[in-house]
Amino acid sequence: MKINVKLIGLFQIGRFKQEDRRYPPGTKVQDVISELQLPTQHFGIVLINGSHAEPVAQLSDGDQLVLLPIVDGG
Amino acid sequence: MIFQTTDPAAHPEAILYRRCTVDLCSGKIRHSDVSCRNLEDVLGGFGRSFQDLAERKIDTAFCDENPLIVNTGLLTGSSAMTGMRTYFSGYSPIKGSKKGLPAAMWSAGSGKFGAKFKWTGLDELIFENRSVEPVYALIRETEKGPSVELKSAAQLLGLSSHEKIMALRQLYPDAHFAAIGPAGENWRHNFMGAVALSTENQLKSGEDKCRFAGRGGMGSLMGYKNLLALVAQSRDKIKAVSEAVKAVNLNVVKGGGAARLQPLSRGGGGGTWAAYDVLQEFHAVPLNNFRPQGNALPEKLFRVNVEKDYDIQSQACFRCGITCHNNISERKSDGSKGEFLAKFDYEPLNLLGTNLGIHDAGQAARLIQLGDNYGMDSISLGGTISYVLSYNERHPGKPLLNGATFGDYQKIRELIIAAGEGKCPAVGMGSMRLSQQTGETSYAYQVKGLELPAYQPETNPGYAWAIAGGHMSMGTYGLLTREGKSDLDSWVKGITEDKLHIVGFDMIGLCKFFDITKGIGTQMVVDCLKSEFNLDISPEAIRAAVHRAFLRGLALELRQGYTKEEFRLPAEVFENPNPHIQLPNITTPEFIAQLEKRVWEIFEPELEGLLA
Repeated sequence: MKINVKLIGLFQIGRFKQEDRRYPPGTKVQDVISELQLPTQHFGIVLINGSHAEPVAQLSDGDQLVLLPIVDGG
Repeated sequence: MIFQTTDPAAHPEAILYRRCTVDLCSGKIRHSDVSCRNLEDVLGGFGRSFQDLAERKIDTAFCDENPLIVNTGLLTGSSAMTGMRTYFSGYSPIKGSKKGLPAAMWSAGSGKFGAKFKWTGLDELIFENRSVEPVYALIRETEKGPSVELKSAAQLLGLSSHEKIMALRQLYPDAHFAAIGPAGENWRHNFMGAVALSTENQLKSGEDKCRFAGRGGMGSLMGYKNLLALVAQSRDKIKAVSEAVKAVNLNVVKGGGAARLQPLSRGGGGGTWAAYDVLQEFHAVPLNNFRPQGNALPEKLFRVNVEKDYDIQSQACFRCGITCHNNISERKSDGSKGEFLAKFDYEPLNLLGTNLGIHDAGQAARLIQLGDNYGMDSISLGGTISYVLSYNERHPGKPLLNGATFGDYQKIRELIIAAGEGKCPAVGMGSMRLSQQTGETSYAYQVKGLELPAYQPETNPGYAWAIAGGHMSMGTYGLLTREGKSDLDSWVKGITEDKLHIVGFDMIGLCKFFDITKGIGTQMVVDCLKSEFNLDISPEAIRAAVHRAFLRGLALELRQGYTKEEFRLPAEVFENPNPHIQLPNITTPEFIAQLEKRVWEIFEPELEGLLA
């Protein structure tokens, strides 16, 4: 299935900003995180089609997945 | 402090703190060892100072009965990482109820002053009345214990916060300093004066790299008292770090709370500045007086864009492994580092940059630097100027002040200078008073008289119950954005239980980045207290003390005349909802009405008898 993956902030370093990627059916968000080797200590927010989701959420063909680092005060 | 028990929760009276009271009018100085009333006193900071403030009925901030309380937290100056905080408390000139009464307030800052202060042997310094002549206080460690003297500060008048510190450095090369800027000196017309705290980096480099206790106008209160600076002269008392504290410190540096603050080069998130990238995804970066437009303008101040033209160095406070500041300098034509400009933290960068329509990093840095040098709270300053710009956008034929508009760097700069010099009370007195004068209060982005920090109020209805201004005294700012919570139950629980615990850091002497999500009621803090002072205390007892301290702050607000209607976000949020913010709308009148009802139903019984 085709997933549009968008990375925000430091997750883009050495990877990409946004691209369509192919994954097998049943892929979960955490599978994408592992595949992209995103640093878990910075992991903050998952958005699927604009709505907050958990890393265990299963993706569907055509989803847009946005992965954001943690934001916490400043 | 003197510890005569290992059980501070059961026997707080067996722990004493060293207080010095200075009568600035008579010059009398009195030292005493004071028994703690409860665990809040033991922990320190506002947990202690607010109990003292509650004993006084103050009708106006600029009166002799309003004290300035300078204190530290239990872990200030300890080997626990981030233990550098100093607290300034008093009744605030800027935060006040519509009834006209000032609110109790504290402000916190890092730098090395707090540790040096603690190492003099003093835990608390109370300034009563006011001095006829400008003075500074010299706090020294002596063989007989801490000593405090008042010295003439005539030579410091008119100097910037940084210049005052560097002038005092000439006299006391082994000391650290707290100083106000011209804004605090001009307290009659500037209620947002901050207190600058010196850093090792500043003193070594000579560059204006202070830290600030900014919120609530404690620098203006200092100015009213004719107290221009504090000097803390003591030996560095850095003891060997125990294995237990070492483990905690490692956890702080590598843990999720701090990892995002580390520099990108060390695998970190790049500091608080990184909030720009995340919030922009929701079009929730404040722009043009908190009205994001759903466009890409905020991206101009993304780190990735700024570092093309400027030199960025990540640096840390004294003995801290969290290199949270990003110092911005000019880049010379040969690529080397040029003149230091400013420290880019998310709040000042946004509120003196994007939220004023300034999208050039160099201009934003210059405005931050200017506000810092005059010694003003960047949040109140930026928030008040953005109100002026918004007013002028709505009234092009009859603008306020110099007619500045969004993005007009020169005119915005003029306003900052005029406010800092006490020549522009319209800005200096804050957006609540200015909007009351214009009659257009709905888009003054303040709650209870304190300007909002750089998080859209649409994402944080918890602001209303913050007791010391914005997100740092009510940690609900990420509940919607980060956690995706848009249901009433989560918000009620967040405000009344979990997220208020962020204020614990303003008691114990640690920076919030120690463990921002969990607060101080944790095993990490328990381990530090055991190792440093042989105190046996549970996380639950600490949490209960923090909860009581928070409630006391709320009770004090109500005693100073706030009505429940004043615990409310700016009206524009409800009257003209921003269609560009891509998050669930949790600030509908219906949601807010339910939230208010349920929050007060929980808080009101808890408040009963708290100030008796």
